[in-house]
Amino acid sequence: MGSEGDSPTRGLDSDPDADAPVAVELEGVGKRYDGTVAVEDVDLRIREGEFFTLVGPSGCGKTTTLRLIAGFEEPTEGRIHFGGRDVSGVPPEARNVGVVFQNYALFPHMTVGENVGYGLRFADPPGGVGREERVRDLLELVDLPGTANRDPESLSGGQQQRVAMARALAPGPDLLLLDEPMSALDARLRERLRLQVREIQRELGITTVYVTHDQEEALSVSDRVAVMRGGTPEQVAPPRSVYRRPASRFVAEFVGDNNVFEGVVVAGDGGGDTGIGTDSTARTVPVDVGGETLRVAVDGQEIVDGTPSPGDRVTFCVRPQHLRVGRADNGLRAEVESAEFLGETTRVHLGWGGRELVVRTEDPLDGTVLVGFAPEDAHVIETTFDE
Amino acid sequence: MSDGSRGREVADAPEERRDPPNRLLDLLERRALTGLAAATVAILVLVFYYPVGTVVVESVLVDGAVTLGVFADLLRDPFYFGELARLFAGESPLAVARSLLSPDRRLGIVGFTAYQAALSTIASVALGLPAAYLLARFEFPGRRTLRSLTIVPFVLPSIMVAVGYVATFGRNGTLNAVLGAVGLGPVELMFTLEAIVIAHAFYNAPLVARVTTAAWEAVDAGAVETARSLGAGPVRAFLHVVAPQVYPAVLVGAALTFVFTFGTFPIVLALGGFELATVEVFVYRLARDLNYAEAAALAVVELVISLSVLGAYLRYEARHTVTSRGVRPLPRRPLLPSAPTARELLPRLGLGVYGVVAAIVFLAPIASMVLASVTGGDGGLTLEHYRFLLERQRTGATFQVRPWPAVRNSLVFAAASALVALPMGVVVAVITTREYRGRKLVDAVAMAPFAVSGILVGLGLLRGLVFGVEVAGWRIAVAGSAAIVAAHAVAGYPFVVRTVAPGLESLDRSLVESARALGASRARVLRDVELPLVWPGVVAGAAFAVAISMGEFTATVVLATGADAYTMPIAIERFIGRRLGPATAMGVVLLVVTGVSFVVIERLGGEYDGI
Repeated sequence: MGSEGDSPTRGLDSDPDADAPVAVELEGVGKRYDGTVAVEDVDLRIREGEFFTLVGPSGCGKTTTLRLIAGFEEPTEGRIHFGGRDVSGVPPEARNVGVVFQNYALFPHMTVGENVGYGLRFADPPGGVGREERVRDLLELVDLPGTANRDPESLSGGQQQRVAMARALAPGPDLLLLDEPMSALDARLRERLRLQVREIQRELGITTVYVTHDQEEALSVSDRVAVMRGGTPEQVAPPRSVYRRPASRFVAEFVGDNNVFEGVVVAGDGGGDTGIGTDSTARTVPVDVGGETLRVAVDGQEIVDGTPSPGDRVTFCVRPQHLRVGRADNGLRAEVESAEFLGETTRVHLGWGGRELVVRTEDPLDGTVLVGFAPEDAHVIETTFDE
Repeated sequence: MSDGSRGREVADAPEERRDPPNRLLDLLERRALTGLAAATVAILVLVFYYPVGTVVVESVLVDGAVTLGVFADLLRDPFYFGELARLFAGESPLAVARSLLSPDRRLGIVGFTAYQAALSTIASVALGLPAAYLLARFEFPGRRTLRSLTIVPFVLPSIMVAVGYVATFGRNGTLNAVLGAVGLGPVELMFTLEAIVIAHAFYNAPLVARVTTAAWEAVDAGAVETARSLGAGPVRAFLHVVAPQVYPAVLVGAALTFVFTFGTFPIVLALGGFELATVEVFVYRLARDLNYAEAAALAVVELVISLSVLGAYLRYEARHTVTSRGVRPLPRRPLLPSAPTARELLPRLGLGVYGVVAAIVFLAPIASMVLASVTGGDGGLTLEHYRFLLERQRTGATFQVRPWPAVRNSLVFAAASALVALPMGVVVAVITTREYRGRKLVDAVAMAPFAVSGILVGLGLLRGLVFGVEVAGWRIAVAGSAAIVAAHAVAGYPFVVRTVAPGLESLDRSLVESARALGASRARVLRDVELPLVWPGVVAGAAFAVAISMGEFTATVVLATGADAYTMPIAIERFIGRRLGPATAMGVVLLVVTGVSFVVIERLGGEYDGI
């Protein structure tokens, strides 16, 4: 399964920074609590200056991974390196990291300024400026000038989160760790704040590890994303790659809406040959999915060990926006089951032979509809070759 | 690491920048918690586990040989175990059970101790629950003040309460004066079980009320409203939603009451005499008669019983602690009825009756003591008892107990033991609120002084440290005052733990982690973040430590052998043997000093969780 470094270089997946210096490296890291596994076999190389996001459903181990990096927990297996230095046994206060929590964790008995300045009690401000000046600079950076003497509780949630950010950045950490920092905020504020966080990160060029369960958030801000499941990253790649070329069925379904099909490659209807044919520009294979034959492009796919041939099992996915209603070519008939009006589009759920499909339309649909897709819009997730 | 980032300047700075003296300070600071923990363990071992250990050893060592003979004799002696002794002696359980059910059963000392503890527990719960109901469910002017006042009986010195009860129920006490005035004959309540049980209720009912009120206030109104909307009436909603959340607290209060009253000493000594002796009183008596082996064995039996109840309590508490944050409490009703209906009037009428009973139990002893201190032999008002104290201060011989040294000693010991108990309690609170294997064991080991009788510790201290211990050629002896301070600190620090730990427990873990990520060591986080946030609990713990020290009688009476180490409670006990008057006057002095110290210290803090 896609872990780092196995990507062939093609337009979409080209990774110009693949050789960038590594800031944090996790090597076979695992964490067990009393027999239950929180994370397992985590291999990650987070690059310097990169905005790296750990995303996954709750319980996938993303927060544990972050806590292991911060030093709040020690791994039970594997090693963690900061810039080549093994940090095993190094307490959090000696790791030079900045941490922002979901609940802000501002010290309620200190003013905003004292909060931001707390880390400066243990380290001189970077850049040779005075402590007060540093606090002022940071509050300006997060767009909260003049709040130094305020009581943190008098600020709104979004403002408190920005103070927490300023506090984490004040001592000039090497690494910024953000643990679901937006989860407690309302949707609109969340969108604004994540852009702001991204801007600050770019401005400072600070290596950032961001944990979220919100895949949309992950896609929108990150340089690279690690999609985690059951304590292990399933795919580590730039957002576009993760979205367009999910490495597993789980990733395909977790990141955005998706329609996943499983079927068997059949002999081509053109007669006698391997079944490989050309449909418009790409070579395609016919796949039998529940009695329907659908053509899937095989060019431009990351299929290991050659091209699928008749008898091979193929799992592929088609995004709802690529499943076009009314397209008779390379399509199937499905029953409309329900529709959700989302504003710009309508998400329509279709039933087809006991499976569920999702399409996006402008208008609500009714009855039986014909949906189809262009073979090159299908992404092959997995191929099991027939022995 | 990141060469391009701004963080570079500070990346490795801490090591480079700090000069040597700072490095030493750094090291000390980093090791501060460990050091304090080690000191706590040392004190606990020195003045608690070692003395208790010597007593246990003494009970199984006869003429240098290990034997359980003393225990066997003890268990088979009907004097201690009553009818149960026959069971230990091998008689059939049926016969024993039949004798136990017969009216002229013998309970023995241990049986009687358990019996009076059980009665005291029932009385304390009966007297505590209405108070909890009043405090949790009704709004009235002075409610918060009354709530804080419920702690007062708990910290009042038991010897003073005993004096108060003698002043109330004694032959010439207030009760008989009132009865005589309305033409009723005098009643003899002194040296009866009733007097002991009432005095115990005075102490422990407020404890039951406090823990129950806290649990009741933690019940979410939303849960009750949900039950009501699902069709439960008010009574059923109470039975199904409120009661299950409140009764664990009642059990906790009852368990603590049982433990405290099982190990009771000064109250029984003063109100029961040796006729109604409990185990603790008998241990004292045996020790006084230099019968150490039997005293030790009896103390160990007491210890086992207390520890099992306390162990059950700790296990129960751990399972049922409700950490309520952000619940919407049940709305309080005004104490004045809004409509003259039965449902409005009946509970308030009940509370009115309760108020009268509570006034008699809680206020009468204190009022009687104050009254007795200004009443002369002829019944008229007089200041002669206070004059006696002054007189004694001026002319008392060196071997006599004088009031000012007693007051001074009490204050000095209280301050010193609070200074020792605070760091001990805070460290134990920090250690026991973290999650790790064996935490419960640490908790139990640290909280044991709660349950172990003062006589046992005092006895051990006397036999061990006070007389001196030979360790590798060095003779270690802890002298009177130091031993008293250490013993008081050990008696007081569990209260610090119990007032600080709940606050620490409910602190958001990410506050600590944020501070650590910003560069603070563990000890520094405690100082900068945790302690300021749980400060009211720390202050309350200090107030408890001071009050416990001022009222501590049992260990002090054993250790204050010199003429210069007696405290106010000891002075009262010495005076009580003579006439009641000077003792009550001294009691008033003790009441004022303790009360003022407690209130002043507690006022420095604020609201806190815990006891």
